[in-house]
Parts: sequence; structure tokens; C-alpha cells
Amino acid sequence: MSTTTAAGPDVRRNRFWVEATVVAVLVVAVVPIAWTLLLSFLPNRAIVSSQWQWPFWLGNYERVLRDGVFVAQIANSVAIVVGTVLICLVVGSLAGYAISRLRPPRWIVVPALIIAGFVPLIPPMTLVPGLYVLLAQLGVLGSVWGLILVNAFLQLPFAALLMSSYFSAVPEELREAGLMDGASEWRVFLHVMVPVVRPGLAAVGVFSGIMAWNEFQMGLTLTSGGATAPVTVGIAGLLQPFAVTWGELSAAGTLAAVPIILMAVFANRQIVAGLTSGAVKG
Amino acid sequence: MTSTAAPPIPTAEPRPIAPEPAGRARRPRRRSPGFGILALLPFVLFGLVFAVYPLAQVIRMAFSDVAIRGGVFQWDAAGLENFAAVVEDPVALRSIGNTVLFVVLTVVVSLFVGLALALLVDRAVAMLPLARNVLIWPAVIAPVVVSLMWLLLLSPTAGGLNKLLLNLGLPTQGWLGDGPTAMAAVVIVDVWHWTPVVFLFLYTALQGVDASTLEAARVDGAGEWRVIRHVVLPALRPAVVAVVVVRVIMGVKAFDEMYLLTAGGPNFATTLVTQHIKTLFFDHLAFGEAAAFSLLVVVLTAGVVGMILFLRAKANR
Repeated sequence: MSTTTAAGPDVRRNRFWVEATVVAVLVVAVVPIAWTLLLSFLPNRAIVSSQWQWPFWLGNYERVLRDGVFVAQIANSVAIVVGTVLICLVVGSLAGYAISRLRPPRWIVVPALIIAGFVPLIPPMTLVPGLYVLLAQLGVLGSVWGLILVNAFLQLPFAALLMSSYFSAVPEELREAGLMDGASEWRVFLHVMVPVVRPGLAAVGVFSGIMAWNEFQMGLTLTSGGATAPVTVGIAGLLQPFAVTWGELSAAGTLAAVPIILMAVFANRQIVAGLTSGAVKG
Repeated sequence: MTSTAAPPIPTAEPRPIAPEPAGRARRPRRRSPGFGILALLPFVLFGLVFAVYPLAQVIRMAFSDVAIRGGVFQWDAAGLENFAAVVEDPVALRSIGNTVLFVVLTVVVSLFVGLALALLVDRAVAMLPLARNVLIWPAVIAPVVVSLMWLLLLSPTAGGLNKLLLNLGLPTQGWLGDGPTAMAAVVIVDVWHWTPVVFLFLYTALQGVDASTLEAARVDGAGEWRVIRHVVLPALRPAVVAVVVVRVIMGVKAFDEMYLLTAGGPNFATTLVTQHIKTLFFDHLAFGEAAAFSLLVVVLTAGVVGMILFLRAKANR
């Protein structure tokens, strides 16, 4: 992409400024994260002091992790992530495959496309009054099961559309060949098509997992808090009392953010596919 | 999408001798729609149970006087009472105004910053791999944690920013305690959080801009700004529209950031519609009004998104 049309001192000076500005932008992107990380290793009195003091301290992590409620909330979030990812992979890839390859009858495709297009438009909060009633009727209000179902529902349109675009890229001949060999539709899907779209499954898995881990509104409104809530609600809960424990708050935030940032480092490509999936329908 | 015309693959099996209609002869028997319906059914069921049914409940609730008695919802017909309550609720109207302001500010600012970033990173060489990785970090962190991170910078008592000002001998600010600066802070946090998405959309689109067109413009002696204005920006327009739609929707949905940073305050200056729905439903237990307001928000959102898509379709014609 290097367009060296007029290589000269002028261009080289521009190059320097481009790189320097990028570095400045990266600093802005990283400072809030780094600051939280830093505070998580400081005792409260060093944080609220007007002087800069840096006594290294692990007590924040110790306190947060010794608190059974916070650990229970992490366990809830892990369970929600696992459940959501599984449902998104299974239901999302089946739906994406059906939409892109199977041409099911109109009476079911049209509702599916309306759901896939409409659900991402509705602010989830507007559904909360209805979801509250629904989960109460299903008997899963305030439970991890309820949150798994709701999170899966919120991520499914994206999962189905993304999988459908991955399945569309697979040559039709592959499917035909499998069917000609006498395999059933189900076997062709499982043993021929699914292995080919593994990159799509990775993108759906990584992205829906991150979204489920980060989800807050549903956890806040559809659980009664405490040990039944996901970790995001737990972090918000740490902030409510008037005696704010900044150090523990930073430690809790770091524990919630670091695994996700590591994902961003190592599964960058999958996350980019997820973040730009809005362009598929747009 | 009717790619049934795939070349017939020769098979060793004998063709069925039974006379079939010409068009169908090529299609093997398995074209029965059974598996297609089965594969799509779970998805549709999820949508029916978790979107259509709750939405129906919201509509029903909006026209009912709902109360919890003995742990069960009691429904009584209420006509348009709930909508009247919404119209007379100054906070509801204020929250719509706040949301419009919030959406306009965050979409415009993140669009310009994201565009500048995309153009900038596209020109970088040494920093390119690092920038492409690090620039998505803010977008993957939980909104709750993002607002926590910014609280650690903006808090009047423990915030790093005031500490910095203090140590530089400058007056400290009550960033989140004052209406306009609170809204500005919330907008800045949202822009920090979501500009990466704009950047990604536009950077990806930039890679698709025809390099030879750019080269030709430069050879013709066009300066860098003219190239950007007359070649790059027109080529980016579809991506810009797409990302604007995505960002508008994200703005209307925003809740988590405000909830932690300002809780809608001070004095409702940062109360967005989502925040108000939650307050009505869970704090005031005004279920009917919450549902009526939700419905209003859905209709308004659909209207705005529909308008953007309509304008785009018109511009494309």
C-alpha cells in the first residue's frame, strides 16, 4: 500500500508524523486500561491521596477473590458464556445453513429474516418488562438458565447471519457431492459443511462469548443480584455503597477485562469479523 | 440466489427411469424441505419466545393497569392511561431529548474520529500491525468495566485526572457533577469505547478502494487532501452509511455506561430512555408506563432507522 509517488524528504517527514500520531492515539486507547491495572495494585489510601505514591499491594485481589459472592458471580458469568456460545454455535449454524443453502419454504424463512433483522434494532431494555414476565412464567427468573437463554437470543441474529455468509462462500458442489454419495442432509451438514466453516464458528464463538461475558442490562434486571448475578452486575454492585473501595473496584474490573483483552490480542481476526458483522446486513 | 443450476455431477448410479418433469429431473429426491424447516425451526422458536412474546407482553402491559399482588402480576385494562402518563412525565420527555443529543453527538464525533483514524492508520507502516490490534481493545471491554475505568480517571475524589490537575497546580473539576460536563464526559466515554467499531468498518472499506484510481489522481497532481475528498470519501460512502446505522442503534441502546458513571444524573441531565425505562419498571413499579414508554421508544427507533435506510435508498437511485 506504500504509495511512494514522490519520495523525498517531504514524504519522509510526513511518515514520521503519521507514525507519531498513531502512537499518540494508541496511548489514548490504552491509558484508561493501564490506569485501572495500576490502581488495582495500590491500597486505597494511596489512591485517594493527593500525592503520587506507588506501594505495590496485592490486597485488592485477595479481598475480591476471598469474597465468595464475587467468585460465585464469576462462575455464573462463565456458565452464561458457555451456554450462550453453545446455543449460538448450534442454533446459529443450523439457521445460517438453512438460510444460505437449503431454501426452506417461505412461511418459515420470512419470519426468520424478520427476526434476524428486527431483533438487533430493538433496545433490549424495551423488552425487559416482557422478558421479566416470560422468565417468571418459565420459572427461570433470576437463574443462570434464564440468562443463558436471553443472552443466546440476543446474539443469535448475528450468529445466524454471520454463519449464513460463511456457508454461502462454500461451493455448492461440495454439498451436492456429499448428497450424491448417499449421505443424508444431516450427515452432509455435520461431516462436510461444518468442518469447512470452522473459521465462521470460531468467529461466532469468540464474539458471542465476549458479548455474553460483557452483558449487563439483563443480568441487572432479570436477577435479584448478589450470588445470582453475573460478574458485570457484581462490579456495578461494588460501586453502590458510599464507602467506595477504589482498589477492589479496580481489581474486579481488571479481572473482568484482562481475559477479554487477551482474547482481543490472540483472536483478533474473529473479533473483527464479529464487530463488523453489522456490515453484512447493512 | 437460485444457484440450483449447479452442473450435474456424473454419477455411477443409474438415473431413475420413472418419467419426471423436466426441471426436476436434475434435482435429486432429497430436495424435500424437511431438513431446511428443521434447521431453521430452533432459531424461529427463539425469536418467537424471546422477542415476539415479550413484545406482545409489553404491548399488553402498555394498555393495562398492572400491579404485583402476592407475587403475581395482576392485569386490568387501562386504555390509554399509560401513554397519557408518559406524555405528562417530564423525565420521560427529557430522556428522549437527552437520547437524541447523545446519539447525535456520539455518532458524529465517533464518525469523524474513526474516519481520521482509518486514514491515518492506513498510511502507517511501522505501527500498522500494533495499531490494528490495540485499536479494537476498547470495543471488547464490558461497558460496565469501561465506565469503571473512566470513573477511576474522572472521579472527583480518587480520579486520576483531578490528581494530575492538582499536581500541576491547576483547579480541579467536578467532571461528572455538573450537567453539561457530565453529558460531555458520557459522550467522551462512549466515543472512546466505540470509535474502534467505526475505525474497523472504514479501515476495511479503505482496503477496497481501487489503488490504481488513487495512483492516477496523484499522478494528475492532485494533493493528498483533494485525493481524500474527491476519490476516497465518495468510495467510502456505503461503509459510512452502514456504520452510521450501526452507531445510531448502539446509541439508542446505550445504558450500562450511564448507569455506572452518572446514574442518569445530575438532575436527570444524562438520563437516557433506557435508564428511564429501568427506573419506571423496577424503582417506581410503574409497569404500565414503563411498557408504554418502551413501545414508544421502539416505534421512534424503527422510524429513525427506517428514515436513514430510506434516504440511503433514495441517494443510491
